[in-house]
Amino acid sequence: MRSALATLRTAFADGQANRASFVFQIVLMAVNDIAWIVFWGLFFHRVGTANGWTFHDIIVMFSLLTVVAGIGLGLFANCRRIGRMVADSSIDEVLILPVRPLGQLLCRRVEPINLGDLVFGVILFLVAAGPTPERILLFGACVLLGVCVMVAFLVWVGSFTFFVGGRGEHADLGFNALLLLASYPLDFFGGPVRVLLFTIVPAAFITGVPVSLMRHFAPGPFALVVSAAVVLGVLAWSTFHLGLRRYASGSLWMR
Amino acid sequence: MGERPRLSQGIVVDELGKTFGSGRRGSARVDAVAGISFHIEPGERCAFIGPNGAGKSTSIKMLTGILRPTSGTATVLGLVPWEQRLTLARRIGTLFGQRSQLWFQLTPRRTYALLASMYGVPGSDRDARLASLGELLDATHLYDRPVRTLSLGERMRCELVASLLHEPEILFLDEPTIGLDLVAKTRFRDLIVRINEEQGTTIFLTSHDVSDIERVANRVIIINHGRIVFDDSVQMLRQSLLKRKLIGVRFEEAVPTLRVSGAAVLTHDGAVAQLEVNTEESPIRSVLDALLEQYPVADISVEDPPLEEIVSHMYERRP
Repeated sequence: MRSALATLRTAFADGQANRASFVFQIVLMAVNDIAWIVFWGLFFHRVGTANGWTFHDIIVMFSLLTVVAGIGLGLFANCRRIGRMVADSSIDEVLILPVRPLGQLLCRRVEPINLGDLVFGVILFLVAAGPTPERILLFGACVLLGVCVMVAFLVWVGSFTFFVGGRGEHADLGFNALLLLASYPLDFFGGPVRVLLFTIVPAAFITGVPVSLMRHFAPGPFALVVSAAVVLGVLAWSTFHLGLRRYASGSLWMR
Repeated sequence: MGERPRLSQGIVVDELGKTFGSGRRGSARVDAVAGISFHIEPGERCAFIGPNGAGKSTSIKMLTGILRPTSGTATVLGLVPWEQRLTLARRIGTLFGQRSQLWFQLTPRRTYALLASMYGVPGSDRDARLASLGELLDATHLYDRPVRTLSLGERMRCELVASLLHEPEILFLDEPTIGLDLVAKTRFRDLIVRINEEQGTTIFLTSHDVSDIERVANRVIIINHGRIVFDDSVQMLRQSLLKRKLIGVRFEEAVPTLRVSGAAVLTHDGAVAQLEVNTEESPIRSVLDALLEQYPVADISVEDPPLEEIVSHMYERRP
């Protein structure tokens, strides 16, 4: 854990080595996020509510999504690159070190642009999502679980590269699907798509269920999110380590 | 920095093999390493060489615990690399010429601090070690410059510091001189030898640059098509293949035609010629006698073929 934190600190320093670019990327992402809020604002101004969702729910949803993405994709940026790293043998870099490979891989890259999400999400929640001590606590718990779900899911799909080869394209597909589906209200979806959101693309555990918990806390749905995080965590860890036994490495110049 | 006591068992490899692909459903099956065996004593400087695709990198990756073999076994310092990777990683150093341990945007010192925390090197030991390595490798003045501003030669010296920071007992180097210019290569090779001589660090070096063998190694293992085709000292490598001798001759005046029994004329340009003798077929002495008797020789030399030629001849051997 200590070496993972030291790596994260180093990755953060590496990410902000060019201070101007670092700040510019953060601002750029925040502007992008503001555009989404404006879009939803206009939409709900016209319709009032949609499938039981209000604009306030959208604010909470975006606060959750941006903070989760900010931490998951910003501080543990390699979670979406596992497939590519398997393909280009970058895993070697951590296997020569006296550290657990998965934790070390996740901490080795910080993506400034996604830190823009994190800054935006925190401000949005504090300004517009009605923060009270209880809600802040619940928000923190939902973020923590959401980060676990997102990182674990991306590690899981990325680890398929150990078994099926390729350059990690399926991981990109999984990443896009997760982010897209998590950025729409859960109740907009029904039937098979809704099943999908609770299973193969677990976007419901990042925004849908947590938004309902922020409306009215209930132990059942909370336990469901905790379970999803644990199951996905175990799945990701075991798939990665099983895959590592099949890791072929290779020459960097063979790409 | 004194030499450490040599208590460990070096590297023991027994019928180690690695096959890629299953060969089923059209997937290619490649025997990258096909059952190699050798033993390297602590303190040796061993060059593990072969042409591209011979299995060098696959072997070094198995010995450092990156890859799991499909057959055979190996121990490094008494540990099975792929089973006890975490323990082994604390005791070995690795340097891959095609990869960097240094963080590109940061200074080497920042990477060293991170590595020291991973290897559990206390701050005072780290500083002392950095000072002595900086002096040994002439790298102290590079520690506080961003890695992106270093030349390749400077970067490789800093990479070497990173690999040696935790005082490894064995240093694995995979193509460490690749991309370096001649001056940087020579300097780098000298540094490796100094580290071995002054600190007793075992050196296991893969390369396909024959000069690396001559300057660094006292033992050579040649691998080709996944199998070992030679395992002995550099001297023995020369001797075992020195059936061929090259004779360089300068005549007192231009010689119109040159024919010597037992020798083949490789080049002949008036008063200068080079001949080749297969000593298994013709004793070198009889060829020299014939040459001296038949022609007005001003100067003569007998040389071994260059090591590069010997090694490329080795590469052509099927195991």
